[in-house]
Amino acid sequence: MGRQRLILAFIALLAIIAVVVIVQVPLRLGLDLQGGSQLTLQVKTTETVPKITPDKLEAVRQVVENRINPNGVQEIVVQMVGDDQLLVQLPGVSDPSEAERILQDVAKLDFRQQKQGTEAQFAIELQVRQQKQIELETARQAGDQATITKKQEELKSSEQAIGALFEKTPLTGEKLRNAYPQPLQGSNWEVVLSFNDQGAKEFADLTKAVAGTGRSLGIFLDDRLLSAPRVDVQYAETGIAGGTASITGGFDTKSASRLAQQLQGGALPVPVEVVENRTVGATLGQDSIQRSIYAGLLGLGLVLIFMVAYYRLPGLIADIALVLYTLFNLAIFDIIPVTLTLPGIAGFILSIGMAVDANVLIFERTREELKAGKTLYRSVEAGFYRAFSSILDSNVTTLIACGALWFLGAGLVKGFALTLAIGIMVSMFTALTCSRTLLLFVLSFPGLRKPHLFCPGLSATPKLQTEKSL
Amino acid sequence: MKLQVIRQRAFWWTLSTLIILSGFVAMGLLWNQTKLPLRPSLDFVGGTRLQLELDCTKPNNCDQPIDSAEVRSVLAAQGLANSSIQVVGTEQNALSIRTSTLNVEQRTNLVNALTEKIGAFATNKTQIDTVGPTIGRQLFSSGMLALLVSFAGIMIYLSLRFQFDYALFAIIALLHDVLITVGIFGILGLVFGTEVDSLFIVALLTIVGFSVNDTVVIYDRIRETIQINGDRSINDIVDDAVNQTLGRSINTTLTALLPLVAIFFLGGETLKYFALALIVGFAAGAYSSIFIASTLLAWWRVKSGQEIPGTPAKSLDVASGEG
Repeated sequence: MGRQRLILAFIALLAIIAVVVIVQVPLRLGLDLQGGSQLTLQVKTTETVPKITPDKLEAVRQVVENRINPNGVQEIVVQMVGDDQLLVQLPGVSDPSEAERILQDVAKLDFRQQKQGTEAQFAIELQVRQQKQIELETARQAGDQATITKKQEELKSSEQAIGALFEKTPLTGEKLRNAYPQPLQGSNWEVVLSFNDQGAKEFADLTKAVAGTGRSLGIFLDDRLLSAPRVDVQYAETGIAGGTASITGGFDTKSASRLAQQLQGGALPVPVEVVENRTVGATLGQDSIQRSIYAGLLGLGLVLIFMVAYYRLPGLIADIALVLYTLFNLAIFDIIPVTLTLPGIAGFILSIGMAVDANVLIFERTREELKAGKTLYRSVEAGFYRAFSSILDSNVTTLIACGALWFLGAGLVKGFALTLAIGIMVSMFTALTCSRTLLLFVLSFPGLRKPHLFCPGLSATPKLQTEKSL
Repeated sequence: MKLQVIRQRAFWWTLSTLIILSGFVAMGLLWNQTKLPLRPSLDFVGGTRLQLELDCTKPNNCDQPIDSAEVRSVLAAQGLANSSIQVVGTEQNALSIRTSTLNVEQRTNLVNALTEKIGAFATNKTQIDTVGPTIGRQLFSSGMLALLVSFAGIMIYLSLRFQFDYALFAIIALLHDVLITVGIFGILGLVFGTEVDSLFIVALLTIVGFSVNDTVVIYDRIRETIQINGDRSINDIVDDAVNQTLGRSINTTLTALLPLVAIFFLGGETLKYFALALIVGFAAGAYSSIFIASTLLAWWRVKSGQEIPGTPAKSLDVASGEG
């Protein structure tokens, strides 16, 4: 008795936690449900880059992310998939053509020379840009979409103003052979650049032109100024020769390797191609999700009614267990977190079916035991005990299928496998713990200890007097 | 009512064979037409599908239903004459076009040309699917691999928990369910042009997961009865086990089918055929567990001289699990 109350209290506590989690954390919906665009990019090899290593892929990912989400403000996700693919998710985007165009251009890295007489102007524009970046960051934290868009525009025009202070040189990213971060004293880092022969010559010319003038050479990535180092006066005669240079000044490990990656990515002539595009208009996604969810809920409502109509009191308890089951499941989706897609919802609905099955197995078994003349309490215990091996075996086999899907399947399939697997595990818990505890709890009320509440049509032979073991 | 599955097994076996064969015939006919046994969606063969809906918030934009001949001429002007065009929606103001794979320029041109001729489309109701041909192949082969691996995994688990012959016949029942579902979609593809997409593979895998459930429950009962009453004939044991678990089989399948039927009739377009595949497969799964997996096991046990399970097997090399 005491132990059951304890378990009951524990279940109630879990249910409350689940409700709190569900209320606090909104479910994450996939792009097929909330609307948006999902692009799969194939990273291609070239003669100079015969193999896509994880480093290269990461560099490409950086480039893609920088281009599509230059200020990091939008909720855009760029993930690596497999060895040579990237997945770009653009929530709320109904027309992805702009993004597709940006992505398929190879990153443009180039080195420019600051125009004469722009020194004062440049310092001001840099400050303006910094100011805009701070404002944008503030707007982003406030989550004010209108301000974010406005600040983005302002930042963009600030970038353009800076660009106008520089003139182009023949030195571009294709001539960069490598860029890597390197530690200096203390926690300072620098970024080392090395050029091919042609690039080395052009770099020498460029550095010669700006050395000691107080003007900078500008390193631009996709027309945005990345870095504007000055060249020491000692190079005014020859420029920086030898084809290597380093950019110093205020880098820590992270910013140095980020710049190196950006430069490398910009320098890498690896073409990417959009091989898959799945775009669902925002309204369309919502329509589809609403209809399917309503339909699913209707079906579940029918299941709940069926359970009570057919299994009576245990059916009612199973229904409570199913509601708990749904709460736990949704809470787990929030905690992990699971991004729900259409197949994911299908997996969830299916797992509800499996959860019902566990209860059906137990109650059918209980009925059999009752018909065989056992007492109510014994029948319930035997129902759980005997149904256990069926539930275990059938769920484990389904879990095996889920495992295969998860490890071998592609995106859609993975979402399905995940929700189904979570569902199965939660259903084992709710069927074996919640249903059982609730049922035994109900049996502690003498008024409810009536076999016909469990099995209609059973001649109500009073066999309960002997049951004092509760 | 008591089902005499053993006595009627010839009937059930013939019925299954007939259904599977008619599926094969349909797939054969499809193969003749298209060189493929099922009608693949662009998920597998690649291409671009555009779903556009006229923006009815603009004045006079939706006055006329879309004329597919006009759409066809626009497509022909873009060099996309052999695309499939469907005018959809209750008001006939939505359009579904399937073409070869279009890049972003081609697609933009097409949409612009259509906008000019037909009217403005609502961007927030647009659906674009472009799948490169290699992606489709990846998807298909990874799905098939997952199917085979899950078969192997299920077989190993059942061999350990039950015995090898249980596992074998469970897999045969699973294959039966998969074949029936595939066959029905072959027939649907032949008659109505129904396509199979990547969700169909998900559905097949789900069917495997669900149907093995049914089979395991019945096998579990057979195993239990053998442990208690090993001196009875396997035929009687199987008959009893099927009947004892019949209520559960029917109720579980019914409760699983209820939400699916609701989704099929009322749910969004995207899940419609997914739900249908599951409905077919779950029904086949329940049926095969009751009538096929059980009777095959009994038939094999009798044939291999293990009719009375309680007596030791005469000459069998089946691995003995804990059964």
